[in-house]
Amino acid sequence: MKKWTSIFPALAAMALTVVFVWYIERPAVPKQATWDDVVAEAKAGGYRIISTTELADRYRTSPTAVTMVDTRQDWEFRTGHIEGAVNFPMEPTAWARWRRAGDLEKFLGADKDHLLVFY
Amino acid sequence: MAVTLGYKNVYRDPYGFPKWQEQGLPIRSIPAGLTSSAATPAGPQDDPSFKGWGMLWTLLGIFAGGLALNLTPCVYPMIPITVSFFGGRSAGDKPGQLGLVLHGLCYLLGLALTNSTLGVVAALTGGLMGSLLQSPLVLALVAGVLVLFATSLFGFWELRLPGGMSQMAGKSYTGYFGSFFMGLTLGIVAAPCIGPFVLGLLTWVAGMGNPWFGFLIFFVLSLGLGLPLFVLALFSGQLQRLPRAGGWMLWVRKLMGWVLVGMAIHFLRPVLPDFLKILLPVTVALTAGLHLGWFDKNEANFRAFSWLKALTGTACLVMATLWITSAVMQGPGIVWHPYSEQILREAKTQGKPLIIDFYADWCTPCRELEEVTFHQPDVVGLAGKNFTMVKVDVTKGGNPYHEELLKNYGVKGVPTLVFIDAEGQERTDLRLVDYLPAEQFLQRMRSITPPGK
Repeated sequence: MKKWTSIFPALAAMALTVVFVWYIERPAVPKQATWDDVVAEAKAGGYRIISTTELADRYRTSPTAVTMVDTRQDWEFRTGHIEGAVNFPMEPTAWARWRRAGDLEKFLGADKDHLLVFY
Repeated sequence: MAVTLGYKNVYRDPYGFPKWQEQGLPIRSIPAGLTSSAATPAGPQDDPSFKGWGMLWTLLGIFAGGLALNLTPCVYPMIPITVSFFGGRSAGDKPGQLGLVLHGLCYLLGLALTNSTLGVVAALTGGLMGSLLQSPLVLALVAGVLVLFATSLFGFWELRLPGGMSQMAGKSYTGYFGSFFMGLTLGIVAAPCIGPFVLGLLTWVAGMGNPWFGFLIFFVLSLGLGLPLFVLALFSGQLQRLPRAGGWMLWVRKLMGWVLVGMAIHFLRPVLPDFLKILLPVTVALTAGLHLGWFDKNEANFRAFSWLKALTGTACLVMATLWITSAVMQGPGIVWHPYSEQILREAKTQGKPLIIDFYADWCTPCRELEEVTFHQPDVVGLAGKNFTMVKVDVTKGGNPYHEELLKNYGVKGVPTLVFIDAEGQERTDLRLVDYLPAEQFLQRMRSITPPGK
C-alpha cells in the first residue's frame, strides 16, 4: 500500500504539535534580571546607568536640565510616576523599537545633548 | 534606542519608579478616568456611524460581512438546492435571460426578508434573542439537518428537490412568487445556522432598539450573503451541463460533508456533557482526517491530488492533537462567585473592583472569553489578587432574580461584562459586549485597579 507511507509524516506532525503545545503552555516563571544583565544590556545599547540617588540629586539641582522618560504602559504611568517625567510607552521588543523610532525622535526634540533618563 | 538616533547623554535608571517612590521623592499620579474616554455610550441617533457617509460605510461593511459569511458552511446545503431549483426550471420552461435575472432577484429578496425579520425581532424585543435562536431544541434540529446534508454529500443519497416540488416550481409556481417563496424557505433553514456568527450584530441591533435599523442592517447583510447564490442561480442552467470533473470532485464533496459534520458538533457543543465537549470534536477530526487522507479511494489524473489528500488528512489529525493537548494542558481558570448582594457589599468594604459576567452556555463569544481570556495566567492572577469576579449564568431563562438583574444593569444580550470600580460605581466606558483577547482585557482590568496595588 503505497499511499499509506504518507501517514508517517502525519504522525510526526501530531507528535510535533504535542511538543509545541506543551512548550507554549508550560508553566513558566519569569526570569529575574540580575545586575550583570543590566550592565551588559547597557553596554550593548551604548547608554549609561544612573542610580536613583544620583538621578534624585540632579533632579533637585535643576529639574529642567533632565528629561525623564517613563517607558512603561500608560496605565502604569497613570497610577504613579516620577514628578516631571513624560510617558512614552514602549514594549521591550525589537518590533516596537523599529516601529516607534521616528516617533521617539519627534518626542525627544532636536537637542541631542540634553540629559535623557529612561526608566 | 535613543542612542542610535544620535542623542549623547542617555542614561537608564534600572530601578525606576518603585525605588524612587520608596525614597519618598516627589511623585505624581493621574486619577483614573480623566485621560481615558469617560464618554457616556452614545445612542444610535448620535452614533457617527449612522449619519450621512458614515451610514453608507457601515452598510458597506455589513455587506462585506455578509459576503464573508459565505465562507461558513451554512451555505453548502443551499448550493445544490439552488442549482437544482434553477437548473430544473431553466430546463423546463426556459425563461429568457432577463426573466432569469428577475427570478434570481426574487429569490434573493425572499432570502433577505427572512433574515431581516430576525433583525426586526431582535430590535423590537431588545431581549436575549440568542436564547430563542440557541435553545437546545433548535440547536439539535440544526445539527440534525447539517448531518443529514452531510450524509448526502458523502454519497449515501442524492440531494434534489422532490419531483412534485420541481414540477410545482416549473408549473403552478411559474410566477416570480415561486422563486421568492423558495428564497423565503431557504432563509428559514439558514437563519439559525448564521445566527451564532452574527450574535454580536444581533446584540448590537437589540441595543439600538430601532426596528428600522434592525431591518436595514440585516437586509444588507443577507444581500451580501445571497449574492454568490444569485450568481449561481443565473448560471445554474449551464452548470448542469458541465461534465463531471473526475474523482477529485467526489473527494471535495466528502470534504464539505465533514465540514458540515464539524459544524453540527460546533452547534451541539454547548448542550453536550463536559467530557464529550472535547472528546466528540477530537473523534470527528481524527475520523475525518483518516477518511479524507487515506481511506478515501478517489484518484485524480493530476499528481498534486495525492499530496492534497495527505495534507488535508494531516491537518485534521494535527487539529485533533492540538485540541486534546490544549485541553489537557489548560491551567486553572478564574474563580467565579454567584451574584449576591452580600458579595457586592464585601467587595466595596474591601475596596476591590468588581466584574460581573453575564454569561450563557449557548453564546459563542461567552465561551471563548471563558476558555481563552479567563484562563490566561495574567488575567487569572490579577483577578484572584485584586478583583471580585461575579458570574450571572443566564443559560436557562425564567429565573426572576436574574431577569431583574438584567433589567437593573440594562443588559441587552450576552456576553455583557459590567466593570464596577472600588467605590461601587459602574464604569460604563469599560462595559464589554463581545469577546476580547486577554491582553486587551488586562488593560481594562488595570484601568480600574486601585493605585498602589
